[in-house]
Parts: sequence; structure tokens; C-alpha cells
Amino acid sequence: MSEPTYFILACLLDGPLHGHGIIKQTLELSENRVKLPVGTLYGALDRLAASGLITVDREEIVDGRPRRYFRLTDEGKGLVTAEALRMQQASSVVTGRILRPGSAFS
Amino acid sequence: MTVTTGPRVRSGAGAGPLERRYRRLLRSYPRAYRDAYGRELLATLLEVAEPERTLPSARESFSLVTSGLRTRMIHMTGRPAWADGIHLGVLVLSIAHLATLVPYATSIPLWVGLSALAVVLIMRGRVRLALPVVTLVAVKVCAITLGRPWLDLTLLPAMPDPPWSGKALYGGGGPVAPMVGYALVVLGLLVLAPRQRGLGRRSWLWLFAVPPLAGADPAGFDFSDGPWPHTAIRVSLEIGVLLLAVWAGHTARDPRWAVAAGVRLVPILTVYAENFGLHSERDEAHLAALVLLTLLAAAVPYRAKQHIVL
Repeated sequence: MSEPTYFILACLLDGPLHGHGIIKQTLELSENRVKLPVGTLYGALDRLAASGLITVDREEIVDGRPRRYFRLTDEGKGLVTAEALRMQQASSVVTGRILRPGSAFS
Repeated sequence: MTVTTGPRVRSGAGAGPLERRYRRLLRSYPRAYRDAYGRELLATLLEVAEPERTLPSARESFSLVTSGLRTRMIHMTGRPAWADGIHLGVLVLSIAHLATLVPYATSIPLWVGLSALAVVLIMRGRVRLALPVVTLVAVKVCAITLGRPWLDLTLLPAMPDPPWSGKALYGGGGPVAPMVGYALVVLGLLVLAPRQRGLGRRSWLWLFAVPPLAGADPAGFDFSDGPWPHTAIRVSLEIGVLLLAVWAGHTARDPRWAVAAGVRLVPILTVYAENFGLHSERDEAHLAALVLLTLLAAAVPYRAKQHIVL
């Protein structure tokens, strides 16, 4: 799973968001590292929806323009959770060593 | 649900030109996608743009164009892969055939015209109408390669018109490769004829391939005899289109572009088999590149299906 996809799924954990909301939330969650271009975002949303990981929650018309709100499916929630646990385990391999008392790095 | 938040906040005084430029970039998406989601994408683009921006950033422009092309590739997969691949392959072959005849237009105007008509009919998905036209041109090409006066009297050898120069029409190589090329188009059209309704229309942009392909040696001795700049342009175009086929196959996880590349490769392989040992090392390197990229185009859809990256 790519980093942008991970953050898109992660920011939908708090509830449905529209495109602009996802871009803002992704930037905030990644501490300004992941700035999604709009084309990339909607391409990723199309792929995730086709894979059944997210779905359209509702559509609104704001100032005459449609806006879709996306939400995580159970499958999407399971996948992003599994990915987070995998990364946590992977990071502990390093942090467990460098933060151990007596380690050369502590 | 409709929400009104008052007048839409414009991104500074430059929102007009910026919106127009974004609309132009959104044309890289297929029409159906634009109709469904174009306004939503545009609204998001304007919302995230800095207030004084009048030109889309290079990063955003690149993202829109590549995502648009990727969406186009995925939208193309709605039709059956093998039939669509054969249709595309037959179109590319018929364009190559037309391009071979174009430099001899004053010697064989009727046949160049019929060849162009065949390209247009195939492009528009009218394969049943194209079938007799291609068959006529195929018979005439066989007549020329064999030196027979079939269908009409053509003064042979037919020499190229200015600005082209070089050999007589089908003056190099043997008769088998051109016959195989035309037979493949006729066979492809026969296969597609019962499925004409399901065929799509191809872009008119394909016609831009004719000028760079015109003057190419049908016997494949381009690097041995051909004018260098023109050959370099043609080979670059071929390699570029094949790389696009590899990318499309990977993006859409679909083999239709590999089928088309395979159809195009068959007569090229026949040319090299018919003139075995006569081509220069550069001609052989050119063939190796074509074979390698065609094999790659066939392999990537299966690999992409097995390794899905989200």
C-alpha cells in the first residue's frame, strides 16, 4: 500500500469526507508530507472504490457543483488497520533496539 | 441533498483564467467521466488553488493529464479485450499499408484513395464496408509485388513522388510479407464483421501516424537504405506507441494493447524471415526492440493483476 493511499484511508476513519476535505486532512495527518494533487486523489478514490475499500456515502450540491462524500467500508477499515499494525510491528524492530537501556543509541 | 453556502468563493481575481485552464486539462479525461465528475473535480481544483494563482502548477497539470489518460485506458476496457485488440491491430496495420502507398500517389491514385477509405472505415468501426475495399487493395498490392496487370494497368516500376526518393514500390524484399500483412487485415476484418455493433470508434488522431510512416521501406531495410532523420522519427514513434501500450496494459491490467501490438508484429517478423540475413545490425536491433516491447506489453497485465498496488 502506498503512503498516499494509507493516509486517504486513515483520514476516512473519523467519518465521511469530500475531496477537498481529504486533501486537507491528509496534509494534516502526514505533518505536511503528503500533499495530494487533485488528479492523483480522484484516481486513488476511483481505484479504492473499485476495490471495495471505500464507497460514496452521499452526494451534495454546493454552489451548483456536486460533491461526493466518501466513507470507509468494513473491508477498507480492516485493511488500513492491518497495515497500521504491520508498520507498528516493523517500526518496533528498530525502536525496540535503539531505545533499549544500555543500547549504543540510547 | 442541496446545500447553499452563498456565492462561491473565487480564488482571487485570477479564478476565470485558472478555471478555463483547468477545464482544458480536464479534457484528458474521457467525456463520460467528465460529464459525471468534471464539475466536482473543477470545484476541488479551485478550492485548493492559492488565491492569486492564474496558471495551474506543473505538478497539478501532470497529475491531471496522467490521471485522465489512466481513466481513459480503464474506460476503454468496457469492450471485449480480444475483439478490441484485433480492431486496434488491424487499424494500425491498415495505416502502415496506407503510409507505404502514399509516396506513390500520382502513380496509383485510385489505390491510395481506396487504402485511405479503408483506414477511415476501420477507424469508424465499419468493418463490413471496409472488407471489400481492403480486399481490392490487397489484390492490387499482390499484383504489383508479382508484376501482374490485375484489376487495372499500372506502369511498373512505380517510383516515388517528390519529396520522397528511393526504391520503386515493393522494389525491395519479396512478395510474401506484403501479402501476409494484407491477409492479416482481411482475416481480422472477417473475424470482426459479425461483431461490428460492439466495436468502438477510434480517434482521428491516428491519421497523424501516416506522415511519419510514409516512405518506410516495406522490406524493413530502413537503417540500411533509408534517410536517417525520417527513419529516426518513425522508429521513435513506433517505440513510443509500444511504450504507451505497455503502460496502458499495466494501468488497466488488460491485454488488448498487447493483442494489437502482436497483430502489428506478425508482418514485421515475416519481412525479416523472408529477407533473412540481409538486414543490417541496426535493422535487427530495431526488430529486437519491437519484439521485446510487444512481449513486455503481453506480460505486464498479468503481473499487474497478481501484484495490485493500492
